[in-house]
Amino acid sequence: MAAPIVELKGIGKSFHEGDRERVVFRDASLSIDPGSWVFLFGRSGSGKSTLLNLVSGIDLPDQGEVRVDGADLSRLSERERTLFRRNHIGFVFQFYNLIPTLTVEENVLLPLELAGTLNPAGRQRAAELLDAVGLADRGRAFPDRLSGGEQQRVAVARALVHAPKLVLADEPTGNLDAQTGRQVLDLFQRLLRPAGTTLVLVTHSGEVASLADRVLSIKDGVLVNAAGVSGAGT
Amino acid sequence: MILWRAGMRNVLRHPWLTVLAVLGVALGVAVVTAVDHANEAAQRAFRLAAETVAGRATHQVVGGPTGLSEDLYRRVRVELHLRGAAPVVSGHLQLSGRTFQLIGIDPFAEPPLRSFSSRFADRGVVTELLTRPGSVLMLQESADELRLKRGATFAADSAGVGRRLVLAGFLEPPDQVSRVALASVLVCDIATAQELLGFVGRLSRIDLILPEGEEGARALRELRAVLPPGADIVPAGAKAGALDQMTRAFRLNLRALSLLALVVGMFLIYNTMTFSVVRRRRLIGMLRALGVSRREVFAMICAEALLIGIAGTVAGLAAGALLGSELTRLVTRTINDLYFVMEVRRVPLLPAALWKGALLGVAATLAATLPAALEATGAPPRAVLSRSQVETRSRRLLPLASCCGALLIAAGCGLFLTDRGGIAGGFIGLFAVIVGYTLLVPAAVMLLSALLRPLLELLLGSLGRMAARGVVVSLSRTGVATAALVVAVSAGIGVGIMVGGFRLTVQNWLTNWLQADVYVTSADHGGGRYRPPLDPALVRRLSALQGEAQVTLSRRVRIEGAAGGVEVFSVQVPERTFLRYPFKEGDPARAWSSFRGGAAVLVSEPYSYRHHLHPGDSVILRTSRGALSFPVAGVIYDYGSDAGIVIMSRAGYVQNFADESVDGMSFTARPGLPVARLLELVRARGGGEQVTVVSNAQLRQATFEVFDRTFAITGVLRMLTMLVAFVGILSALMAMQVERARELAVLRAVGLTPGQVWGVVCGETVLIGLIAGLLSLPLGIAEALVLIYVVNLRSFGWTMQLAIAPSQLVEALVLSVSAAFLAGIYPSLRIARTSPALALKEED
Amino acid sequence: MRRFLVVTAAVACVALLLWYFWSGRRHSDRARQETFSVAQALGGAAAPGFSRAENPRHFFFPADHGPHAGFRNEWWYFTGNLRTADGRRFGYQLTFFKTLLTPVAVARESAWATNQVYMAHFAVTDVAGKRYRFAERFSRAALGLAGAGGDPLSLRLEDWTVRQSSPRPWGVRLTAAEPDFAVDFDLVSVKPEILNGEGGLSRKGATPGNASYYYSIPRMATSGTIRIGKERFAVSGISWLDREWSTSALEQNQVGWDWFALQFDDGRDLMFYQLRRRDGGSDPFSGGTLVAADGRSRNLTRDEVQLEVVSWWQSPASGVRYPSLWRLRIPSQGLYLEVVPRLAGQELLTGFRYWEGAVAVRGLNGSPGGSGYLEMTGYSAATAANREPPGR
Repeated sequence: MAAPIVELKGIGKSFHEGDRERVVFRDASLSIDPGSWVFLFGRSGSGKSTLLNLVSGIDLPDQGEVRVDGADLSRLSERERTLFRRNHIGFVFQFYNLIPTLTVEENVLLPLELAGTLNPAGRQRAAELLDAVGLADRGRAFPDRLSGGEQQRVAVARALVHAPKLVLADEPTGNLDAQTGRQVLDLFQRLLRPAGTTLVLVTHSGEVASLADRVLSIKDGVLVNAAGVSGAGT
Repeated sequence: MILWRAGMRNVLRHPWLTVLAVLGVALGVAVVTAVDHANEAAQRAFRLAAETVAGRATHQVVGGPTGLSEDLYRRVRVELHLRGAAPVVSGHLQLSGRTFQLIGIDPFAEPPLRSFSSRFADRGVVTELLTRPGSVLMLQESADELRLKRGATFAADSAGVGRRLVLAGFLEPPDQVSRVALASVLVCDIATAQELLGFVGRLSRIDLILPEGEEGARALRELRAVLPPGADIVPAGAKAGALDQMTRAFRLNLRALSLLALVVGMFLIYNTMTFSVVRRRRLIGMLRALGVSRREVFAMICAEALLIGIAGTVAGLAAGALLGSELTRLVTRTINDLYFVMEVRRVPLLPAALWKGALLGVAATLAATLPAALEATGAPPRAVLSRSQVETRSRRLLPLASCCGALLIAAGCGLFLTDRGGIAGGFIGLFAVIVGYTLLVPAAVMLLSALLRPLLELLLGSLGRMAARGVVVSLSRTGVATAALVVAVSAGIGVGIMVGGFRLTVQNWLTNWLQADVYVTSADHGGGRYRPPLDPALVRRLSALQGEAQVTLSRRVRIEGAAGGVEVFSVQVPERTFLRYPFKEGDPARAWSSFRGGAAVLVSEPYSYRHHLHPGDSVILRTSRGALSFPVAGVIYDYGSDAGIVIMSRAGYVQNFADESVDGMSFTARPGLPVARLLELVRARGGGEQVTVVSNAQLRQATFEVFDRTFAITGVLRMLTMLVAFVGILSALMAMQVERARELAVLRAVGLTPGQVWGVVCGETVLIGLIAGLLSLPLGIAEALVLIYVVNLRSFGWTMQLAIAPSQLVEALVLSVSAAFLAGIYPSLRIARTSPALALKEED
Repeated sequence: MRRFLVVTAAVACVALLLWYFWSGRRHSDRARQETFSVAQALGGAAAPGFSRAENPRHFFFPADHGPHAGFRNEWWYFTGNLRTADGRRFGYQLTFFKTLLTPVAVARESAWATNQVYMAHFAVTDVAGKRYRFAERFSRAALGLAGAGGDPLSLRLEDWTVRQSSPRPWGVRLTAAEPDFAVDFDLVSVKPEILNGEGGLSRKGATPGNASYYYSIPRMATSGTIRIGKERFAVSGISWLDREWSTSALEQNQVGWDWFALQFDDGRDLMFYQLRRRDGGSDPFSGGTLVAADGRSRNLTRDEVQLEVVSWWQSPASGVRYPSLWRLRIPSQGLYLEVVPRLAGQELLTGFRYWEGAVAVRGLNGSPGGSGYLEMTGYSAATAANREPPGR
């Protein structure tokens, strides 16, 4: 198979909380193949979001190496990591995180602008995505006029508009009711799988695990295959 | 530019906050621009007038109090063959309530010197000017304002004497600059000027164009050889230079006050921008997560600030232009009262002042934004998402800030102790103290809110506790807001106390100085310091009252010299009066013996301060007998002139200046004679409109009118600074509360009534207002001390008393608390009106 | 006499000059922009109240050398040709113009107040050095700055002075200095005062009162020094004094004049002025006086004198064209002359611009040669071109 798209080697990461030090990762390693879907389970505070921050280059590990699509993130500067992120990664957050002062359409177009590919083809793609998420008619609305499910669908479109190889989703359904959550996951299924996009999804809901190629959880600072979850594989 | 759209919409979504920020910048810029304009306009108007009137003259021959003999001009021109010489007789005339400078020239001697009376409509104008008594030229615009047509005769007032003038024609200045300079000038033939000003046989000065180099030096030597003892040759620039000299301290004081307004404005901008960043902490976090680089975020914030800065600057310049003309009037009036007569009219807004204001406004905005922008972009993307970290960090910085503050205050005080720094040093020290103090404010806020918490708790219960904690928790906001308010309010207190102290001082001084019951001066409404002499016959008539009252004669003149001028006040006083003069140095009884005969002089405190003169030293004066040295017998308090004066006995003056004229008389009623009766006696002998007869009380009142007029501009600036502060506190607190909308919505959802929310919000803002008010008291008093004992002393050489009126302190407290209270109203109304559900849903 | 017109014009022009003067423009500009004719400038009649030269009068000397009250204009016009012992030639002009601004002075307090204004022109022609220098001054007659005294004569405009030095033969001393040129001369009459026109009444036009009182002293032996720059020259030669007072002006159709004051080697002197009309012809009021060596004189009418311009010179400073060679014939007196400026450029670029300079007289057909002064006014660039003889 091709080289892994995400590769963590011997990651260590801890935080200071007041006087106490909390260790999140201790020599954790992970390798994700291109196109595979990895779901990460765990309780609140177990370090799931930290993993996403490390993979996206928002945060750096105290030790170890993070490679994404062949680039060693820990060797990149802050600016280079930012540029890497904007070009290669799509993000979906629990709280949608749409820019409130931009319309739905503008929110979707923003990554293209950042990547410098705001051309007619890009606009076409954004329109198609909005259509695909079923919000073609809401392009001019501001996010606060949308329901939570709608907002998250916009967020998905935004995450995919620049055709990233890797999509990171931080509890994308955590804020939504079950049915709406399922709609969002259906979107992932419809839009990511055909394109072979890698997905790393953090969740605490076991229901969605069936969609994953591989399910992980964090135990004592190490990533382990989650037992009892179907669909796990290597 | 989708990203930028996000920023711009953000500005538009909170119009109130944006408007307040713009207003803050605008006010700061407006005040600075206006003061700058007023200062420059006054200075430029005088310079222009002086230069235009002086023309291309390189030197001027000036005389003593009575000018020069006109025969000197003939000697200079005919016998010394100096053809670049032109005689001038100038003075002031009042016309429909305006003061005009009357310049009498000899048209035949003018061409090499001046261009302002450049063209005549026809030769008839020249003929009329030369041959028709009372004919003058003025600008067409001035004539239009006065509704005069060519050939019209009109009334004017010279030294209280009514004159008939004829408008022979119009001045046709060659360019716009001269046009501005000549706005309040009347030009006439020298013969006419001599007649109108009562200066027959005399010249005010002779303008000279001397060649450079050896030839010029030789001409100067020859000239000096024929000069009578009372005359001197001064470089032509000396007069304009004298203005700079005389009014430098005054203008510097104004400028410092205006900068204070800008500093307060900067606090405001800093606050607004910091808030705007903090409020969008989440948004910035999101953007950073999406891959927006630091630089882009930084640029976005700066662009936003720039927008606010530009909008504020443009509005500020417009307001500054309006305010500027009003301030120009005030500045001019002060200069007229304190220094010399000058009219400033139609001065176009100076590009320099505009540029300065614009640059300052935009630069100050950006500078104030920088910390916020750096803070937002400096943190890693994840951290940006959390807010408590900022608070933690700013609290960690607290000890450091406090230390820096203490050090700055110490440094500022150090500057006051050394005399070296001069006025500028005084101001730098003052600013150091202010900035240092503001650095201490956050710590003080924590301390005070902890102290006030029980009180609030008592009043408002747990809500009160919440408010007090809210202040501490959001220290990064409240600290700055409070500091801004403290600076502004303290400035108000400081200036207020200083002016109050000055007023009291002057009051006490007048009691000593104005001892007589009735005063007579020539009725000159020009308002200048120097009055034309009284009619000698009148002086004789009034002196005949000797039996009924103690009569004193006085004369105030300015002796021009190469090194600037000096004011000589000569007075004939009885010993009893003299001994009650407010002596600062020297022994009155000992001084009297040498003073009475004219052998020694007294100097005023500012003169002593400026020239480092003390009893035992001596002053050199250019008298009609040449330059003579006079020992200083004493230093007395005098608040009439910040350049200082030299006081000489009348006997000495008459002897040394060959001038018998009198411009002031005072009468002290003999015991048993009522002042009203004395007034009647004097009026009966005085007769007519030529003199002003006033009682002691009236004179005192008039003096205070002048005093209050002088400080009107200070009062205006103080008000403006307070206004900036008011807007500042309003916007800062409002922003803070808007930011808390979500939190307040939660409170509402939890079950607080709108009234209770209002209580929390206003409790918090009022607490801040109260804290700021309390903190501004010590700083304000400190500022007053510095202003009185450092700045004013160094600027003017005046010793002032310190008088702190409790009402001023209370006023300051009320101001800050009410501003804070007002600031709480809008957010609480907003919260009360919005349904909690909606507010909770709002992400922003 | 004609030159007297010139002078009249000039003097009446004082105020106009002032106006220009004050405008602060440089000479060249002024000259270029001066497009009005003298007649236009002076066209207006004098205000009523001034005395006028209407009837012949008796002249008394030396009293009449002094100023005459009530007339608007009066002048003293000294010109002369001089040479050093080794033959270096100079010309000079020193002229005082008095103008009354109003007929009657108002009594006023100030000593500066006056209705009398003086103007003076001072020029020196350095023929060998090919330099012409001139200066102009104005002053009010007050405070000893300027003025005239009668018997003995004294004239002053600041430090330019004329003072009577001897009553009989009548002599004066002239002093005037500018930074780069100066004169100091003694003049003594060689011939008596010659009354021009009808016993001293010289008519300038058809309008009654448009006339002047006009006499000349055509020959005054002159000696003294001229300073050019820092160099001094002892010189001697002959001067001519013209005296005129009036309240007259150019008539509507007169544009200017040409005035000749020539001293011939045979002891005769000629004064002739031609008033030029707008149509280019010469005015019937043109005329002159021929003075014999013994001092007897006879009037010359316009018809007795033939004047012809042979060539022209254009002033580089003002662009104005002036005649540069005249042919003058008086057949009845057997005089056939060519009058040539000793230097082409002797133009006074003063407020009132005119040409006045030293000339050489060449006798033709046995006529005597000589020297003299020529004054030409009212020329402009346009006029010169129009009047240029065809075929040139």
